[in-house]
Amino acid sequence: MDLRLGDIPLRQTVELTHIDLPAEEMEPLLERGVLPGCRICPVRSSPSGDPIVSVDGSLLALRRETAACLCVRLLTALQDAS
Amino acid sequence: MGDLHHEGDPAASGTAVLSEPRDAPLVALIGPPNSGKTTLFNRLTGLRQKVANYPGVTVEKHVGRVQLGGERTVDLVDLPGVHGFSARTLDEKITRDVLEGRMPGLHPPDALVLIVDSTRLEAQLMLVEPVLELEVPTLLVLNMWDELTERGGAVDESALAERLGVEIVKTNARLGTGIEAVQAFLARAAVRAPSQTERTLTNVPGGVALPMMDAFAERRRRVRAVVEAAGFVPPRPSGFSERLDHLALHRIWGPLVFLAVVVLVFQSIFTWAVPLMDGVDALISGSGEWIATTLPESWFRSLLVDGVWAGVGSVVIFLPQILILFLFLGILEDSGYMARAAVIADRMMYRVGLQGRAFLPLLSGYACAVPAILAARTVDDERDRLATIFVTPFMTCSARLPVYALLIAAFIPDEPLLGPIMGQRAAVLLGLYGLGIVAAIGTAFLLKRTLLKAQAGSFLMELPPYRIPSLRSLGLRLLDRSKIFLRRAGRIIFAVTVVLWASTQFPRVDGGPPLIDDSLLGRTGQLIEPAIEPLGFDWRIGIGLVTSLAAREVIIGTLGTIYGVEDASDDSLDLMAALQRDLSTGAAIGLLIFFVFALQCMSTVAVMRRETAGWKWPILQFTYMLALAYAGAFIAVRIF
Repeated sequence: MDLRLGDIPLRQTVELTHIDLPAEEMEPLLERGVLPGCRICPVRSSPSGDPIVSVDGSLLALRRETAACLCVRLLTALQDAS
Repeated sequence: MGDLHHEGDPAASGTAVLSEPRDAPLVALIGPPNSGKTTLFNRLTGLRQKVANYPGVTVEKHVGRVQLGGERTVDLVDLPGVHGFSARTLDEKITRDVLEGRMPGLHPPDALVLIVDSTRLEAQLMLVEPVLELEVPTLLVLNMWDELTERGGAVDESALAERLGVEIVKTNARLGTGIEAVQAFLARAAVRAPSQTERTLTNVPGGVALPMMDAFAERRRRVRAVVEAAGFVPPRPSGFSERLDHLALHRIWGPLVFLAVVVLVFQSIFTWAVPLMDGVDALISGSGEWIATTLPESWFRSLLVDGVWAGVGSVVIFLPQILILFLFLGILEDSGYMARAAVIADRMMYRVGLQGRAFLPLLSGYACAVPAILAARTVDDERDRLATIFVTPFMTCSARLPVYALLIAAFIPDEPLLGPIMGQRAAVLLGLYGLGIVAAIGTAFLLKRTLLKAQAGSFLMELPPYRIPSLRSLGLRLLDRSKIFLRRAGRIIFAVTVVLWASTQFPRVDGGPPLIDDSLLGRTGQLIEPAIEPLGFDWRIGIGLVTSLAAREVIIGTLGTIYGVEDASDDSLDLMAALQRDLSTGAAIGLLIFFVFALQCMSTVAVMRRETAGWKWPILQFTYMLALAYAGAFIAVRIF
């Protein structure tokens, strides 16, 4: 039930629900538009396997440790199968 | 608060009683990174710009003068690119201080220009609310407008202007379209206002009333309402950027492209720069000889030719190398590749306790630690930044190279090691580079487990669309760098060479200079000899080590002077012969290792002090590196 961005396959858009990080690390994310309610989509992964996501038309590279702290939910129940 | 409204009628503050008539009005240019801010700045100010440092820190302050026809001028300050005003990074703190009018030496801005990338309008407008709350006349510049429309995006800018209560101009700063409209705004709005009221920037909207996450989400909702009302259609993703990223971030090709770029930068620094450096060398020694033959024999001629010309010249010679490095770094940064390189490097850097952004400063460190330490301010986490600064001097800078070249040529036989592929000399050179890297990794590892211990930090890198760099911006940046570099050479190196020269001239014997052994310099050397004797160095090397504190390559000129060799260039056979006589092979290898580790560079120490705002880090670093160097040489002389 507790779905994280790190679990989402490439090219599936999800909605961010909560950021599970201390304020200091959360603020840069918020400033770049990574906030609850935003649509976020992993578009590729870096050679070392870290996610690169698309938010608001910007590309952001994260560490997988950070992606594991971003709680998301699927946009429709039907997509739950993946 | 449905709209991001404010009362910003530009004419309202136009009824100015000029409190400080000698100052031109000041306009601050604000925007997120990669929005084309600096390109617009260069368009508006051209060559009429000055670079200085903000007091106490080494963030560069770019101020330029905009001519508005007739006698009217406006001063424009180019603030660092920021995503917010939380003052978490040095860049954000500077931006905040300038906007709030608390920056010493700059009066509060009389008008603001906020520039955003139109293709990412919605995200970038997050900056607009805190800026408008300052209630200073503001112009919103929608840059890269043509790219938005080309990729099928749209926005009704008059509706946007009305909703935000702010003037709007559409531009392409790279081509210069829309610049007249920006100038028109500057002419109208930028009037030196009388005393300013208190200004406060609030990064987190809603103060303490709301948790930070909700407060930002609220602001985001307001921005969305505004852009939706203005009919914003986001552009299609750039197919060009996607295809390039497919290569640049590919599992196998990505690291290969990365490696190719690193090799290319190295190749350019060490091979292509050589003819240019030879040219500068010829120019300096040629003019030195001309002065020597023109001026009559006197102490002044000796000071000018043997002291100033030789000393300052030995540093100016690195100018081509530094310019080529900055040209490459500029192209990599402006094209958008640098962000990808940082992503590729991040995992590797993370393992040793650094982060991807440290890649750029560490690479620059191979040319010179001074610009590299400045470049470290792109590292957004303070602990990571300090660790990056701390290990940067272990990168083999170009000032070490002449020293390595001289000692290797004198002591390492020119014999093959791996058949025709690599000789012993090349292997030793490579080994010295490798030793520096090992020391940097070990030190970073150690630091992040002791002094700079931190939770696993985050790394967040925006990947801007690929763009063709503007020649104008590259050219202006190179001009900037040359000025800063030459100023450094002009001050520090000049002072040291004069002192060094003077100490070879006193005490006078029969009105003339003494023998070098009896001079102030020689006596100082004999004083410190006991300390370096365990390393197999005599007093001459000791003096070289002391003078090379100014800059590493100075040791060559110093040894040349001491041995009385006329032309002490690094391929001088006489100097080599003298070294072979006085140094054992073990001591020579020890000396090489000493140079790998020791922080023999006053400029680095000075820039460290400014970047870390105190003496703690530079002193710690100097001592640590000296201890490593001493231990390394001590061991080497006993092994080899």
